[in-house]
Amino acid sequence: MANEFVLEMNHITKVYGSNAVLKDVTLRIRPGEIHALLGENGAGKSTLMNVLFGMPVIHTTGGFEGEVIFDGQSVHIASPMDAMSKGIGMVHQEFMLIPGFSVTDNIKLNREITRPWPVSRVLGKNLEFLNRSAMASDARKALDAVGMSIEEYTLVSGLPIGHMQFIEIAREIDKSGMKLLVFDEPTAVLTESEAQQLLDVMKKIAAQGIAIIFITHRLDEVMDAADTITILRDGTLVTTLAKSDTTTEELAGLMIGRGSEGVIHVDKSARQLTGGTAMSIRDLWVNMPGEVDRGVDLDVQEGEILGIGGLAGQGKIGIPNGIMGLYEARGDVTFNGQKLPLGDAQAVLKAGLAMVSEDRRGVGLLLDQSIEDNIVFTAMQVRGDFLKPFLRQKDARAIRKHAEDMIRELDIRCTSPTQPVGTLSGGNQQKVCVARALTMKPKFLFVSEPTRGIDIGAKQLVLETLVKLNREQDMTIVMVSSELQELRSVCDRIAIVAEGRVVDILKAEDSDTAFGLAMSGKRAKEGEKA
Amino acid sequence: MSEQVVEKTAKKRGSRFITSIVLFALAGVMLIASISGYVLRGSASTRANLDRMRTSAVLHAATEGLVDSIAQTARSAKLKELRADKNFRKRGLDEVNSICDAAMEEARAEAEKLYNNPVVEDEAALESAIETMESVLATSGQLENREKAAYAEIYVQLVDNISNWRETAAEGMDDAAIIEALAKTAPAIKDAGNAHLQPGFVRLAKDMAAAQLAREEAEQQGQLISMMTGAIADWTEYSGLEGDALWEKLAAELPDLNGNERFKDALLETAAKHIAAAENGETLPEEAATDEGAETVGETLADYSYFIPTDELAKERQDNEAAFEALNVQLVRIIPDLGELTGNLQDSLRVSLEKVLWPGSLDFSTLYDTYMARGGDAALTGGASKTLKLASLAEALLLGSIALMLLGLVLFFWETLTRRFGVPRTIIALFFIYLCLLAELYNISVRMMLGNVLERMTMYGVLVLAMMPGIQCGIGLNMGMTIGCISGLLGIVLSLQFNMTGFAALLFACLSGAAFSLPLGWAYSKLLNRMKGNEMTISTYVGFSFVSLMCIGWMMLPFNNPKIIWLLSGRGLRVTHSLLGSFAHLLDKFLSFKVFGINVPTGGLLFLGVCCFIMWLFSRSRTGIAMTAAGSNPRFAEASGINVNHMRTVGTVLSTMIAAVGIVIYSQAFGYAQLYTAPRQLGFIAASAILIGGATVSKARVSHVLIGVFLFEGVLVFGQQIANSVVAGGGLSEVMRIMISNGIILYALTQSGGARRD
Repeated sequence: MANEFVLEMNHITKVYGSNAVLKDVTLRIRPGEIHALLGENGAGKSTLMNVLFGMPVIHTTGGFEGEVIFDGQSVHIASPMDAMSKGIGMVHQEFMLIPGFSVTDNIKLNREITRPWPVSRVLGKNLEFLNRSAMASDARKALDAVGMSIEEYTLVSGLPIGHMQFIEIAREIDKSGMKLLVFDEPTAVLTESEAQQLLDVMKKIAAQGIAIIFITHRLDEVMDAADTITILRDGTLVTTLAKSDTTTEELAGLMIGRGSEGVIHVDKSARQLTGGTAMSIRDLWVNMPGEVDRGVDLDVQEGEILGIGGLAGQGKIGIPNGIMGLYEARGDVTFNGQKLPLGDAQAVLKAGLAMVSEDRRGVGLLLDQSIEDNIVFTAMQVRGDFLKPFLRQKDARAIRKHAEDMIRELDIRCTSPTQPVGTLSGGNQQKVCVARALTMKPKFLFVSEPTRGIDIGAKQLVLETLVKLNREQDMTIVMVSSELQELRSVCDRIAIVAEGRVVDILKAEDSDTAFGLAMSGKRAKEGEKA
Repeated sequence: MSEQVVEKTAKKRGSRFITSIVLFALAGVMLIASISGYVLRGSASTRANLDRMRTSAVLHAATEGLVDSIAQTARSAKLKELRADKNFRKRGLDEVNSICDAAMEEARAEAEKLYNNPVVEDEAALESAIETMESVLATSGQLENREKAAYAEIYVQLVDNISNWRETAAEGMDDAAIIEALAKTAPAIKDAGNAHLQPGFVRLAKDMAAAQLAREEAEQQGQLISMMTGAIADWTEYSGLEGDALWEKLAAELPDLNGNERFKDALLETAAKHIAAAENGETLPEEAATDEGAETVGETLADYSYFIPTDELAKERQDNEAAFEALNVQLVRIIPDLGELTGNLQDSLRVSLEKVLWPGSLDFSTLYDTYMARGGDAALTGGASKTLKLASLAEALLLGSIALMLLGLVLFFWETLTRRFGVPRTIIALFFIYLCLLAELYNISVRMMLGNVLERMTMYGVLVLAMMPGIQCGIGLNMGMTIGCISGLLGIVLSLQFNMTGFAALLFACLSGAAFSLPLGWAYSKLLNRMKGNEMTISTYVGFSFVSLMCIGWMMLPFNNPKIIWLLSGRGLRVTHSLLGSFAHLLDKFLSFKVFGINVPTGGLLFLGVCCFIMWLFSRSRTGIAMTAAGSNPRFAEASGINVNHMRTVGTVLSTMIAAVGIVIYSQAFGYAQLYTAPRQLGFIAASAILIGGATVSKARVSHVLIGVFLFEGVLVFGQQIANSVVAGGGLSEVMRIMISNGIILYALTQSGGARRD
């Protein structure tokens, strides 16, 4: 082999607008090795892969800095097609298969083996016959390579999900000249035994000399399969290690890291929680697309701020949405000793719960209506506030007064209470959402991703408001956030959710390793937490 | 990138600014020209020329008939000549026509040369005669106008509202009794000032009764014939019979013939025809009865042949006569041929002279245009034609200047206006104002048309309001409101079935229509709740299907009042039902009054106002607010514990019920209830009206309804009149209506619907 590395991505920097998402990242892959790429959400893994595949999103936003050397040559990859022709393949997280086609057809799609006949000789290649037997034998070979015993002529539509993943891989292997394969969280949808089988297949492929980039957050799998590990955090390269030099715990710690200080500092030293249980959640299943929960058990203490963290798509957002009746849910949720009817938003709201949704523009606001109408809406509908007794007309004066109070209290920057919320900035919209929840005078507040997409000043104000509500009005708050730093600065306890279950409940001061392990689905031993 | 956008908008704004300045400058120039034109009209030389032009106009009017008759005579002479030729039959019709027309034009040109600029020897005498005639006409004309207006009002009231003249003027009633009966409909007939008109109206009533009798007899005869031909299958049995013998055998078979001997001749004639055919082994088809259901629909125009002038007017008319004689003497002196006129031509000479000299009928620009068209340039003093031209254009220049100024203003404030009102509303409003200006230019009465617009507002207002809850609850434009319309129509025909009249009938139709629409709207909303995201398609389809379904329904429903069913088959409802005896124009006439010559349909406007007020109250209530939220963001509403499907049902049912009331109001304003396919287009009209008003497919307010219905109907009424004056032929206005209404719907869908779903 002439080159030590099949792929070198040297000093890659990518800037979106004024926001650097990759800062001087270098990634080097040897032929035939399994190279794990680790990092939290937003660490820059996907952007790095987009650069590698020459995705349009990179080119249309001004390209990137740095160089890509593939197979010893400096290359410019213009498009995913280009990448494919150079021998870089991708196994997608969502299956790109056509259900009504057979396994063979899917594997050979757009690369069919054809046989000419007189008409096609005249009218062109598009009219050639398919050479089905050649295609089938190719497919068979590929399927055998991934250890699949299924018949190559079965239709894809009836197959179990695990099988589809393997067909994807078989398709990539079948391409001739494949030198590098990228697996983007391939085990996320697989059962344990399937995952194990997949890892074996990966090793087999690697043994044939094809390099593999393995993106995952399951540290066990990394330790099992990978040869080399590169860790990204906040767009920067943390380190590249050989597997033999490290442990799961070290990886977890490196992934989380003590980043910059939290946006606010809250003194939690004098906290004495009364200890009563405000809400107890048992075996909660929530069917929210992309955020499925599979049996959450969690107790929320009265008067605390409980954080719920975890990687995207693991089910942390499903918990508040399921309890508040926005998505189909089952399980037992008791609030102050009373069982909550799941799926009945009105009853849950009446019981004294409120929620600030993560989907501000979609669920949280009526964008074309005024600030004041947004603030009082739920209270008017659920509690019957702000209504005059005559014909149940809305009480414009009371609404205006309340809205003005809220605007002052939460410092909502607007021209008047009648300004449509759609014209406000993200931070001020979030404050309107908070105001709407507060107007319900709740005893218990869910706040889902309260700081997503708002600027740092507004972030601070929103978090401070939550702490103030908790301290002064004794409101129990459950805050769901993807930003661990934020949770650690505000919350008393932090529950980490992975794969639809609560893995561990940690304290803010627990070690990065403990958090890192929990986020990849493993519980740290008691002694390691500190 | 954003800098580019900013730069681009700035550039656009700059070019708009410059364009508006240019427009203002042009408008200013035109305004100055117009003012100078008006000033010139006052100058002495213009006045002198004006007199000359008037004289010329009179002479032209006088010779117009003469020239025409000469031309016609020449044409018929030519035709006669061609007929005499033995080759006549070989020529085609077109060829004959073109030869004759050529001859006519030639004769006309010659006659015009002869008469157009005759030598006037005694100008002063002619002018004084013209002036006398003019001043006499000024007094008598006004009087005549006034009296005829009073007559016309009563006439229209009577003809519009009396459906059974044979009852009003039954045989054996004396004149006083007939007047009493007429006064029930038109109380003004008994006013002291109208006593002289009474004999005329008595004559009218008798004529109408006679006409009605004739019509009914014809109808009955037609039905008997149809019944007879339908009932008898085998005519050979009657072979050989004739006259009384045939009649007796027929009457034995068909007892209905007894007592209808007055139709004997016609029946026997038909029977003979069928017998003859049967003897030849043929079978003639059943004779169809004439359809009396198809009544003419439109505005009633007064027929002045029943008009009787007051003594005062009669005396004025005599003065008129004298003045005309004097003028005629002068005219004959100038053009001796006028003295030879007889009969019709003499009469038409007088009519055309009166038309020219009628007060206010000759304005400056018309005078000037006709004068110049006849090549009268040379006779004007001192090369005055340029100043006169300017003076004649004063009005057009003024209107043009206003139009340009408005356009400039709109461009200048474009951003503010479009942000405040939206692009379509701004453009339509500007278009409407331009139509008003054009109407002024074409001398079409803006006032009369505004009255017309008001009337149509009451007609369509409630229907447009029905769109509002549909939009608010999130189903978008409720094209399926035809379901409500059909329920309302069902209510109307029920009220007719039970022979109800007046407010009771109106109330009954509204309530029963709303009651029918309740379950229908509920079922329809269940359907829509299963098709979220495709409501527009579904509602249009459901609306059309329901109309078709009810086309069968109207035939099958067991109505049996002979007034509303097909007489022939004895079942099935007719297409058009006159509401004259029932509640036609009931609301519109309630408390109605005239202001500045505009007829204000108070009752209808009040009803629309009350409906809008109730809708406004509803949209501020807890349920209304919840419904609007469910429509604009279902997920938001759900998060607040609102049952979105329930709210959509509330909105859909409400929309359907308002549509049911709306069609009743529409029918009362129209005067007729139309069944079968008639309600199909109503959804589109209502949708485009509310969209013009500023609503989108996801947001609507009461103000959108009112502004929309005014602008939509305004553009239609004015557009129709103006289109008809600019381009002869009637079809244009309908084309315009379709273009405007469908164009607006398309625009609204691309604007709000398209952007929303991204």
